[in-house]
Amino acid sequence: MFNRTKNLRLSVIKQMELRASRYPDVVSLAQGIPGFDTPECIKRRVELALKRGVVSKYSLSPGLPELRELIELSLARENMFYDWQKEIIVTAGAIEGITAAILAITEPGDEIIIPSPTYTSYREVINLAGCMPVYVSLDENRGWAFDLDKFEKAITEKTKAIFYCNPNNPTGTIYAKEQLLGLAKLAEKHNLFIICDEVYKDFIFDAEGAKPPRFASVNRGGLAPFSLGEVPELRKKVIRVFSFSKPYAMTGWRIGYLHSDESVVREILKVHDSLVTCAPVISQYAAMGALEMGERDLKKFVKDFKEHRDFACSRLDKLSHIFSYAKPNSAYYVFPSFAKALDGEPRPDSWKFALELLDKAQVAVVPGVAFGPNGEGHIRINFGRSKEDVGRAFDRMEEYFDKWKN
Amino acid sequence: MKYLMKKILQYYLKYIAKLVLAIHRPTIIAIAGSTNKIFVKDEISKTLKEEGISVRSNPKSFNTEIGLPLAILNLPSGYNSYKNWLPVIPKAILKIFQFNFPKFLVLELGVSDPGDMRYLLTIIKPKIVVITDITQRYLEGFDGMNELVNEYELLVKKADKNGLAILNYDNQRIRKMANISKIKVQFFGLTDGADWQAVKIEKGSTGQSVTVKHNNIASEHKINKFGQHHVNALLIGLAVKHYLTC
Repeated sequence: MFNRTKNLRLSVIKQMELRASRYPDVVSLAQGIPGFDTPECIKRRVELALKRGVVSKYSLSPGLPELRELIELSLARENMFYDWQKEIIVTAGAIEGITAAILAITEPGDEIIIPSPTYTSYREVINLAGCMPVYVSLDENRGWAFDLDKFEKAITEKTKAIFYCNPNNPTGTIYAKEQLLGLAKLAEKHNLFIICDEVYKDFIFDAEGAKPPRFASVNRGGLAPFSLGEVPELRKKVIRVFSFSKPYAMTGWRIGYLHSDESVVREILKVHDSLVTCAPVISQYAAMGALEMGERDLKKFVKDFKEHRDFACSRLDKLSHIFSYAKPNSAYYVFPSFAKALDGEPRPDSWKFALELLDKAQVAVVPGVAFGPNGEGHIRINFGRSKEDVGRAFDRMEEYFDKWKN
Repeated sequence: MKYLMKKILQYYLKYIAKLVLAIHRPTIIAIAGSTNKIFVKDEISKTLKEEGISVRSNPKSFNTEIGLPLAILNLPSGYNSYKNWLPVIPKAILKIFQFNFPKFLVLELGVSDPGDMRYLLTIIKPKIVVITDITQRYLEGFDGMNELVNEYELLVKKADKNGLAILNYDNQRIRKMANISKIKVQFFGLTDGADWQAVKIEKGSTGQSVTVKHNNIASEHKINKFGQHHVNALLIGLAVKHYLTC
């Protein structure tokens, strides 16, 4: 019984949210929810679709043609050229696209390499497919960069894909172009797929400090990280995933997309059709609104998140007796390590640390181990929530940690 | 209130756009169809620019009763924000006095309800009309396919009498529009009989190689994009270029 699910766990992030919900006055900086509501222009687009009576039926399995056409245009602006008719699938959020992709390209027993730390749900999806996640640790001392030798050493005969998130959740790292191209060489040499989840690509805070090759193109007035989806020669190897959840404050709408060469997408489509038939049509209209009119709101979100990032970092600096961290250049998370002991005890594991924080300070964060073994000794703080919430959480942490100053 | 404001804005922009067109008299290329309008618009603009022809198209799909005047006036949309519309309104007036107005405008025409095309054609008189394709998309606003097709037929009927209609030969409903057209027609498509026919399409990692046959002469073209819709856009671009330069 339950053989398929016995090795699955409810995401640690959701576990923390569940625990946090028992504390009436908790401030949660755990789940990756932005603090904004969906922009008005998107809601208006949905209202129009509702009025026209076009949301009640299934769409074509890969999605509404007009949305996929917009996605092709959006990709072309980022130097990626994919045929909306055969190479783009609109998915029920990024995670459904990732699940469909992994189920399509793997067989049970295959291995998928993922960096550590990285997004917690990847492990579960890989397990669900009957595959084995193989963690490769990122180098914290180099701003959580790849170590390509470690990736090569992790490759076995069973390896089917390398799967990463760029910019990375939870560290906010933007992988350098040369590193990604190195990864692509490995993938070509060993005939592997590359799955890149780029849901935070729009949140780039600083150009300074970024080496020029790190940024491939200027995108809609902002900086965009380099994507392996831009390399035409890799189009049969790269499956790129995107979600509207983060950039347009649409986490509840469950809408995203993936793209790759038609030879790959054809197979993924069969799984997508089996899983969900099609992405929610009402959300597809919302996604159209986002692509047609959401640019102004997106820019505002990026500006606000940058302010939140600077605010959260300044508050972390006041807790330097507890935390040390690399300033994130993207996403809306900071991933500090806690170096000191609590209550004079030996340094706790990140679960214990997070639970203590929840119980004593009523601040919910995510224990770093949720993101892979290399995340141990860290917590993830979501600074994308409202500035008031972020401020209140740090007030409480300061008060709680104050007694450990000496 | 919102409806009233929208109507005032719609007619304000319409009459300024008409005035601008009357003053500057650009040649208008109008693109209509259920799909692929924006790619065709980009391809035509690119082709004309390569020929050194002064042309402008709006990067957005502004193709409605408010969008079309904005595309003509080269103005942004305020979408659903009164605040964002405020700077647009005075800028529209200034467009009347614009220098260096382009000789060609490439415009999209969007149809989602009966009567949409008739209204849009009260703003412009196109010299070249393109019907990219007609599918069931946007059919929900009509009492069936015939009513939707009638909208596009109106565009062919109302085009400049010395103009050109570029029609999709692969679509039977569009092919039949040649019968009601009083202007010159050029067909594009993959099917034998199209004036501009893609006879061979090869996909590579960096794009598509297309062999195009016109008047029994074959030519080779490369596109750095994927999908048949880009092949169609290429064929339409070639037809426009041939009409304007040969």
